[in-house]
Amino acid sequence: MKVRHWVSWFCVVVVSSLALVAAMVADDPPATEAERAYEIKETMLCPVCDGQNVLESNAPVASAIRAQVDQLVSEGRSDAEIRAWMARQYGKDVNATPPRTGIASLVWVIPVFVAIASAALMISVFRKWRVGRGAEVSDDDLEIVASLREQS
Amino acid sequence: MFVRGPGSCVVIALLGTFGIAIGFIGALGGAMTLISALALKREARHRRAIAWIFLMAGGCLLAVLAMEIGLLRDDFSMQYVASNSTRSTPVLYKIATLWGALEGSLLLWAFVLSGYVTAVAISFRRQIQDRLVAWALLTILVVCIFFFGLLVGPADPFGTLSIAPLDGDGLNPLLRNHPLMAIHPVMLYLGYVGFTVPFGFAVAALVTGRLGEGWLVLTRIWTLIAWVSLTVGILLGAWWSYEVLGWGGYWAWDPVENASFLPWLTGTAFIHSVLVQERRGMLRVWNLSLLLTTFALTIFGTFLTRSGVIDSVHEFSASSLGPLLLGFFGFILVVSVALVGWRGDELRSPGSIDSPLSREGAFLANNLLFTLFAFIVLLGTVFPLIVEAINDDQLAVGRPYFDRMLLPIGIALLLVMGIAPVLTWRSTAAQTIGTRALMPAATGATVMVLALIFGAQGLGPVLGIGLGGFVVGSSVRHLFLAVRRNGWAGITGRSGGGMVAHIGVALLAFGFIASTSFSEEGEFQLRPGDRGSVAGHEITFVEVIDEMDGPNRVVRARVNVEGRGVYAPAITQYPTFGRPIATPSVATSFVDDVYLSLIAIPEEGSDLVVIRVLVEPLVAWIWLGGLVIAGGTLLAMVPRRGRFSAFADEAETEEVGL
Repeated sequence: MKVRHWVSWFCVVVVSSLALVAAMVADDPPATEAERAYEIKETMLCPVCDGQNVLESNAPVASAIRAQVDQLVSEGRSDAEIRAWMARQYGKDVNATPPRTGIASLVWVIPVFVAIASAALMISVFRKWRVGRGAEVSDDDLEIVASLREQS
Repeated sequence: MFVRGPGSCVVIALLGTFGIAIGFIGALGGAMTLISALALKREARHRRAIAWIFLMAGGCLLAVLAMEIGLLRDDFSMQYVASNSTRSTPVLYKIATLWGALEGSLLLWAFVLSGYVTAVAISFRRQIQDRLVAWALLTILVVCIFFFGLLVGPADPFGTLSIAPLDGDGLNPLLRNHPLMAIHPVMLYLGYVGFTVPFGFAVAALVTGRLGEGWLVLTRIWTLIAWVSLTVGILLGAWWSYEVLGWGGYWAWDPVENASFLPWLTGTAFIHSVLVQERRGMLRVWNLSLLLTTFALTIFGTFLTRSGVIDSVHEFSASSLGPLLLGFFGFILVVSVALVGWRGDELRSPGSIDSPLSREGAFLANNLLFTLFAFIVLLGTVFPLIVEAINDDQLAVGRPYFDRMLLPIGIALLLVMGIAPVLTWRSTAAQTIGTRALMPAATGATVMVLALIFGAQGLGPVLGIGLGGFVVGSSVRHLFLAVRRNGWAGITGRSGGGMVAHIGVALLAFGFIASTSFSEEGEFQLRPGDRGSVAGHEITFVEVIDEMDGPNRVVRARVNVEGRGVYAPAITQYPTFGRPIATPSVATSFVDDVYLSLIAIPEEGSDLVVIRVLVEPLVAWIWLGGLVIAGGTLLAMVPRRGRFSAFADEAETEEVGL
């Protein structure tokens, strides 16, 4: 590569890294009560409307849950406490996020395991292919080469 | 209104039943003809199956017409019409009611399927003596037999009522208040059912042992038709839910959405990895398995959504067909695994992958990511069922799960999509990448800076947007070189059309990332003249209009969105449906959408309304991206000159350097 390329690449890498750092810094974590309540409502399913979350649903029970979340957040309860409270009130399946304990944790673990296993499998196949490629000179090949040499 | 003699109604239902019976007989006859001809090795007799196929398609057409006549003439003696239509339903939705409920949607399935078989039979009529084509037709006919069998027995759409009600119950109002409902299911079915054709050819290739690349070339266009229809169908569904459901989202990871998404994911993996096989003769087992999986997933998805095992907004279609669909899925699975196992040795590919840093290496990475993606979607969808079966525990796997697990894969896919076009086949020198990837990388960096200037924040979103820019850069570069070399023909064919489609995917990614990460919302209680403001958009509530539309009470709030005009989100109370249905109104632009919805029916006599305002940037880019993807796929279907042979792929020359 020419020097010009190296310089260009250097600029691209620097600009990208700065942009990503700036993006990370600008992203403040949810701090206010309203933001916290919003996030909880967004990840809580309305018990009667099949898959919609309580933030989006206009069913009466959803607006009741919204009010309860606001109430609990203003009382200073933690996210986990609020979620547990809701699960007791409306059943475990109001939480859109599956729990990370017990048998439910498998839903988090299995994909990671499968991802690692399949990536490892692919790498091993690659290596086998490359090793196999190195030792492909058979006796037949040697004979052909030998006969050609004799002819010349 | 007039009273119709009881005879006419019965005639229509009878006509429908007759049509389905003809369809069933046609499918059965065609399959028997092919089986006997194949068993006796009488190739000349294959042709006779075509007549059976025409008979089947004719019967199905008759049934569809009968149903449409019944729906349009308000024949409430037909049970399907009585439970799914009303006199007051507008004509367009009466037509669309055909696919509004279970029996009708299966009829549509059979109709689309018989359309496909007929098209295959016609386009392969000259090669019909070929055993491969005969086996493919036979396989598709077996699928036809299954679906016509459902219509004959357990899901008969033409049941009649001895006493016809004066008016029908009508569909769920959500399904009859937007014209997209008339197109979305049809497109989706064209895609979903379309994968039966490549499935048929895959099975035929396995059975006949002709595992070269010939069958792939035969099915290429069919696969692309199915794929593009499914893509458009899914996006139309997303658009519909955005325009109708009133929460401002377009994708909820609902089981039915997932069911349509699963075959799309494996199908997408296939249309990519098949290029490796066409080019290098490799990945044969893998590609066949992907096709078999894709078809099996369409049946499994139908099982999930049509058996009522899973709660969903699409629950209108729940039924007792579960065991039959599950059985058919099991049958397909067993046959597929057995066939691949039987021919496995002959499927060993002659080539090998020389370097991970090559075009085929990128395709493999693509496949790994897409199958992992599909696996996670499948796991998340069925996991609540598994847990419930094991310890009777109710739990939900919702959007936070899918977002957390799938966004990293989406980011990785964008990276692969950007890097693949700059790689060469076999292996790529670092220097080549350094030269070719520079412009795309610079585009990505520029797009990130622009995104920051426009207010984007957060590592994930900005990285995703930057990678989208990288994809656009490398696709445009590829297209530019192709056009310089081949003229405008350069944007056609696999690589040209593919690159156009990739630009569409990048646009879609921009829209998706911006609208999910940077939306702002506000809820306002307003009286006429009151104002509110969200994300720099001033809205003024003008007036409320409360009126009756036939039997339905419709409340509209006229709201002025500054610079965009007056919009009127509405909320409707249908007498036959419990809770009121809100119809949002969206002020769209290519910068952002102002999404207005009425929260509740205002109290009688009050002019106070509650309006939810959602400002979502770049949503329109999602639909635009879908359009570009569809256009790119159509371009990819254009055959390149002089490339008619199955093995002439080497004609596709690779650009050298930049």
